[in-house]
Amino acid sequence: MSTSADDLRAAIERQFGRSLHIRTLDTGSCAVCEQEIRLLAAPHYDLHRLGFFFTPAPRHADLLLVTGPMIRAFEVAARKTYDAMPGPKVVVGVGACALGGVYPADPFTHGTVDAVLPVDVWIPGCPPSPLALLHGLGVAVGRLAEKVRDLPFTAEDQPERTRGDS
Amino acid sequence: MTLWFVRGIRRGIVTTRYPARPEESARFLPTPPAFRPRELNRETADRLAQACPSGALTRDEDALVFDVGRCTACGRCAAEASHAVISSAAWELAATDRSTLIKRIPLRAAAP
Repeated sequence: MSTSADDLRAAIERQFGRSLHIRTLDTGSCAVCEQEIRLLAAPHYDLHRLGFFFTPAPRHADLLLVTGPMIRAFEVAARKTYDAMPGPKVVVGVGACALGGVYPADPFTHGTVDAVLPVDVWIPGCPPSPLALLHGLGVAVGRLAEKVRDLPFTAEDQPERTRGDS
Repeated sequence: MTLWFVRGIRRGIVTTRYPARPEESARFLPTPPAFRPRELNRETADRLAQACPSGALTRDEDALVFDVGRCTACGRCAAEASHAVISSAAWELAATDRSTLIKRIPLRAAAP
């Protein structure tokens, strides 16, 4: 598994160089993921300094940011978008909907994005913050390391960490 | 604006390594929960699984299965069992393998 991932990364590095164009695809999300994605272009996060650009056309895109639970009405459009992208291409599933957390598979939705598209990178969060999205994009192009693999999500007797607002 | 521009030019640094410093604003983000295994027994795990609206928490025999991908960080598990659940403060959660997002948290052995 790791060798194919390494091959993919090498191919991305060779073919994409340092510039990468992103097409976003909303497959029925509540649009909060889109708000966070849009914030990536704001000066605080400044996606463009890292060589990422948004493009409105799938034919110009290298990376597909898919949000939402993949409603069945959108399936054809999603497949067409994916097929229209030139290879090699990367699909990134964004948000808890895309990862199957919010909607079950039913006659209206597939429930997860990977029921229709082959997802390469998963970004959890509801919504994932722009910071998390930047990290996910870095993981997608192989510049940043995955961290969640080693996180146990357990807390031994350490002092309680509280969020700023609670 | 002008001062800011001149200061930026003078410093001469346009990019930094990732991360340049620990991200301070990250502590305000809602983050998935972390669990205290010592406080978790089957009964608590069942209550947590019932409280979770997105099905991220399930109990599999003597383990609490936490699917980080399905978690919406709503905090209902922390409200249900505040002694066993805290905020994980983890936000760099991107994964290339879906199964690495599914965590098995061992439960404490049955009550003495």
